[in-house]
Amino acid sequence: MKVLRILPERCTGCLRCELACSYVQTGTFQPAKSVIRVSPFEGHTSYAPYTCFQCAEGWCMTACPVGAIVISPVGAKAVVDDQCVGCKLCTIACPYGTMFYNPDTQKAFKCNLCGGDPACAHACPTEAILYEEAETADWLGDFAAARAGSTLAAAGGNGRH
Amino acid sequence: MAARHVIVGGGTAGHNAINTIRQEERERSEIVLVSDERPYSRMVLPYYLGRTIAESHVFTATPAKLGRLGVTTHLGRRATALDTKAGKLTLDDGTVLPYDDLLVATGSSAVRPPVQGADGPGVHSFWTLEQARSVLAEIGPGSHVVMVGAGFIAFTILNSILALGARLTIVEIAPQILPRMIDQQGASLVEAWLRKHGVEIRTGATLTAVEQHAGQRRLRFKDGPDLDADVVIMATGIRTNLGWLEGSGVRVNRGVVVDDHLRSSVPNVYAAGDVAEGRDLVTGQPDVHAIEPTAMEHGRVVGANMAGRDVAYRGSLLMNIVEVCHLDVASFGRWDDPAAELMLAVDPDRPSYRKLLWHGDRLTGAMILGPSADIWTTNDVGMLKGLVQAGTPLGPWKEQLRRNPFDVKRAYVASHATRQLLPQTVLGRPAPAPSMLWS
Repeated sequence: MKVLRILPERCTGCLRCELACSYVQTGTFQPAKSVIRVSPFEGHTSYAPYTCFQCAEGWCMTACPVGAIVISPVGAKAVVDDQCVGCKLCTIACPYGTMFYNPDTQKAFKCNLCGGDPACAHACPTEAILYEEAETADWLGDFAAARAGSTLAAAGGNGRH
Repeated sequence: MAARHVIVGGGTAGHNAINTIRQEERERSEIVLVSDERPYSRMVLPYYLGRTIAESHVFTATPAKLGRLGVTTHLGRRATALDTKAGKLTLDDGTVLPYDDLLVATGSSAVRPPVQGADGPGVHSFWTLEQARSVLAEIGPGSHVVMVGAGFIAFTILNSILALGARLTIVEIAPQILPRMIDQQGASLVEAWLRKHGVEIRTGATLTAVEQHAGQRRLRFKDGPDLDADVVIMATGIRTNLGWLEGSGVRVNRGVVVDDHLRSSVPNVYAAGDVAEGRDLVTGQPDVHAIEPTAMEHGRVVGANMAGRDVAYRGSLLMNIVEVCHLDVASFGRWDDPAAELMLAVDPDRPSYRKLLWHGDRLTGAMILGPSADIWTTNDVGMLKGLVQAGTPLGPWKEQLRRNPFDVKRAYVASHATRQLLPQTVLGRPAPAPSMLWS
């Protein structure tokens, strides 16, 4: 299936993906509502976006007690709003930390690949996010590990995210 | 002849087993479901109580869908005796069901404290759909609800009780709330938060009697003043439903002792969910995890094995999450392990609190408390769960987490937890979409 392939070396940290994602997912330009999240990985010089891997198990999907997370026609694990009761089991079951919860609507939400036309990939000006046929993979691990030195040397870290 | 599987219990474990048998089997088998209730999800009853979902939303398998799955049902019936030598199950209406293999998934029941008046009018448990209906019928705006017991179940219905406009008092025999889910420091933050939101809390309170006074309940305590209540909810724990296995030869300790295939001491009898004492993922030791995710995974593993596959289960991870008045409270793994190395971070004003538990450079448990509106609370809950689940060695990132237990993401990503997790599946292949529901 087509997945969001992340090439972290190309990310400039411009946050356009977050803006685009929040707009398509919630109708507002609010990075806080985005389900793709850009984080710094080396001081404030290296950034990379992180989002759902659409993993084989679908821990969120199998955990849902009411079957509110399904596999969409493009293969994304997607929350069916009407069915979600807001119990948050998916947020603790997902071992990747890519589930979200909207306290206003009291529903869980996550990356659904925008139905096969992901806004983040469109918005990225440097092609750091590609939507293409690939095996989902640990896109950021090596990138983050290679930049660990300065982070680990900086006592106190860089705040929460 | 087709194999005949008998599933005893229509809860999460039972319906996941049924679904998985149908997904995994090569040739159509016979499935018989015995359930004293029509299958529904206990996990969503709090939302029914809060009137955010209709009662119809709680059911997991309609009779029509069970019919289409080719499941023969004995609903409203209970198992009374299991003859493992003859391979026969007896029901309370005298029906005798022969089986090739059988799943014990009879779950738990709510228990009440042995005090006078604990079963009187206006005193409820909140465990079954029937009990949820009774509670909902009696609570209205301005009602005073007293909840006896401050455990996970009590906390799952707290928001709903407040949303119905009721006034809520929680009394707990232990010195803190949520004694089996969070530590004392976390509990004191949650207590302060709830008091700020108008919930009365009395800990260390031993209930001695519930009396009836002019249409109201009067609760009496060993120490402290009486409490008058319109509605009393006894959230005082659960007990596994295993009495019917007496004399069956199935070995029971705290639950039915099962191996890594969820088979009991009698090889063609499986157990799953609240009644099963299976492997704990973190400790490797047998334990009873009476939680929804364990029931779901147990049920799927049993279903696959009943369908003829050979699926070993890695073990279940203890995890609980509850939101009260927009504060998330979560713990998982061995969050109360006295032998673990601890890292703590507290911000009492927000409030937020984190506790990470370590053995060497591996995370073996965690506790998280923080506002639901903070995205990182939700994301970090998942990543910390992933680190515990994968047993990822964190190497130098351990010290970074000591400096800042909120800086989870970089430690998680840089230690390649994702690479470890992506190949993991419960049944050794991608999970299919849920198909049993919403028919």
